[in-house]
Amino acid sequence: MDTGLLIQVILSGLSVGAIYALVAVGFGVIFNATGAINFVQGEYVMVGGLSAAMLYEAWDVPVLVAIVAAVALTVLLGVLTEFGLLGFGRLRTPASITIATIAIAVIIKGAAMLISDRDTYALPSVLGAGSLQVWGASTSRQTVLNLLLAVVAVVALALFFQRTKLGTTLRAAAGDSETLQTFGVSYRTTARWAFVIAAALGAVAGAGLAPLTVMSFDSGTLLGLKGFAAAMLGGLGNPRGALAGGLMLGIAEAVMSGYGAAAYADVVAFVVLLAILTLRPTGMFGTAQAVRT
Amino acid sequence: MRKKISTLLTCSVLLALSACGLGSSGSDTDSDDTIKIGTLFSVSGAGANLGDKMRKGAELAVKQVNADGGIDGKKIDWVFYDPAGDTSTAVQQTNRMLDSDGVELIVGGGGSSGIALAMDPITSGRGVAFIATEGARQIVEPAAEAHPLTFKTTFNDTVMVERLIAFWKAHDITRVAFMPDTSSFGQSAQEELERLAPEAGIKVFTAAFDPAANDLTPQVKRLAGNDPQAYLAWTITPAGVTFLKNLRSVLGDSDVMVMHGFGFVDDRYMQQAGAASTGTILVSPKLPVWDRIDASDPQQPVMEDFATAYAEEYGGEQPNVYAGQAYDAMMVAVAALRATGGDTDGEKIADAVEALGTHVGVTGAFKFTADDHSGLTVDDVAVIQWDGSRFVPVE
Repeated sequence: MDTGLLIQVILSGLSVGAIYALVAVGFGVIFNATGAINFVQGEYVMVGGLSAAMLYEAWDVPVLVAIVAAVALTVLLGVLTEFGLLGFGRLRTPASITIATIAIAVIIKGAAMLISDRDTYALPSVLGAGSLQVWGASTSRQTVLNLLLAVVAVVALALFFQRTKLGTTLRAAAGDSETLQTFGVSYRTTARWAFVIAAALGAVAGAGLAPLTVMSFDSGTLLGLKGFAAAMLGGLGNPRGALAGGLMLGIAEAVMSGYGAAAYADVVAFVVLLAILTLRPTGMFGTAQAVRT
Repeated sequence: MRKKISTLLTCSVLLALSACGLGSSGSDTDSDDTIKIGTLFSVSGAGANLGDKMRKGAELAVKQVNADGGIDGKKIDWVFYDPAGDTSTAVQQTNRMLDSDGVELIVGGGGSSGIALAMDPITSGRGVAFIATEGARQIVEPAAEAHPLTFKTTFNDTVMVERLIAFWKAHDITRVAFMPDTSSFGQSAQEELERLAPEAGIKVFTAAFDPAANDLTPQVKRLAGNDPQAYLAWTITPAGVTFLKNLRSVLGDSDVMVMHGFGFVDDRYMQQAGAASTGTILVSPKLPVWDRIDASDPQQPVMEDFATAYAEEYGGEQPNVYAGQAYDAMMVAVAALRATGGDTDGEKIADAVEALGTHVGVTGAFKFTADDHSGLTVDDVAVIQWDGSRFVPVE
């Protein structure tokens, strides 16, 4: 048994899994507020990473400034997404919103393709280029930061949903938005907040991913699907479940790459998704919704 | 009002979706004063970056030929479609070009080997000549028996692998770690390398990777256990940048040879890998080092003219090898059309291409024969190195 390889596989899994976790948490936030699956989530990652890298290259600003600007831009896109979905007053059911998010994702990807002129962009890590050596294996410093970001995001969101008034309102909106509206809480306002949070999470994931690889207009779609698989794995809407789901998915893929046939690493995510949907639709950490009659 | 707006929105969404698949066709005139050449490149979709370069290369050729008075007085009427990397779309567009657009000759196979392979039976079935710009050797092999009307202006990976093996032998390298991506480009190279390397006494250890992967350290670590002297990646995707970064991370300062195949010859990719790309050795057409090769090479002035004209046409942008291949494909078609006197009959064009002798292009000195419809040999391959700011030739 080559322990160096084993450690390397785990590190690789955590590195990619942290990104999946951040995407998965974003899916959960929108699901909690609207009951819908937001397929724009992967594109937020792309916009966050791509725009940070483009701003860094075009304006030669410090990496951190580029990231902050990219997060702001993505949040604005989140607000626009909400307006595009709900601003015309006709979409209210989770199913119709979900379908509409696919259309918006396609539009955002197309716009990004034109703006980026189909080029790839790179972003250096805020921590520098060096790598860390761990028991005969190695990983970039960015990995540690990404893991930290994922954990912080999950803890902060768990507290937000349980302890704050807005968080509670968001959860209530998913449960029964009509009753909530009779209490004078605007559906639009809660939805807008959810999209702001989800877009910010996506942008952070993108800014975290960019230093590990390069970004292009095409970087978001597959990531969105894998983040969705991770969210389902952990239980949709449960931040802690999203973290666990993301990391497990990342490690499962890394095991395939390190020990099995890499050709099938991508398939792992979707086999996992299928298995979970069939065997345990609420995810490993999810609980079935209680319906009061 | 509400309804109107949402109808409008729906329409614009549908339009945005379909716009990707629709191309622009040159014009509707179909007179004897023009020769209609059809081209497919994926300027949107996953390989959009390369498709865009290819489109520019072909467009430059068309503009130059038309500015020079065309082919025996006939202007090229260029019909362009964007299949967005999708093979079934490309098949429809190929049929449309031949059925309703009146295209007489096809140059450019969608920018992906899979698409070009799907187009070949359609063009061949109608007796139309097809000059592809994609890599897979299966597009034109076996030429005489199965693909008499189809040519390509790209290297067969067999030629690249032969050059690599010669290079390794010259540098006493006998253990190589090979990382192809799982696309047909990578898998085809793996087949050739695993076939040819053992005969040359070179041991190859292979670990494939998914082109969408964001971390390749497990594969690198696994291969490192075999103590290879060189690492070679084979991909055209940005995952090649991750390969370079991950290799540096796992291997540290180790001075093993780091190599990429001819699909990764791109300044931008190298810059994006930062310090990790310095010293990377690639097998490539000569174009990236056109200003560093011997002026006595007959290809040198052709490459210089192309690079200059391309930069002038596209706002100072430097052409890459993909633009060069597309330019060559169009120019080979034009040379053949000049030989047939503008006759677009597939068999006549094929005979003309095979009778061109040596066509000195941007990618190499093409010598098409009845059995070789790719026309390039190891003499056309350069071994180049990224010195941190540009590609330079390696001895």
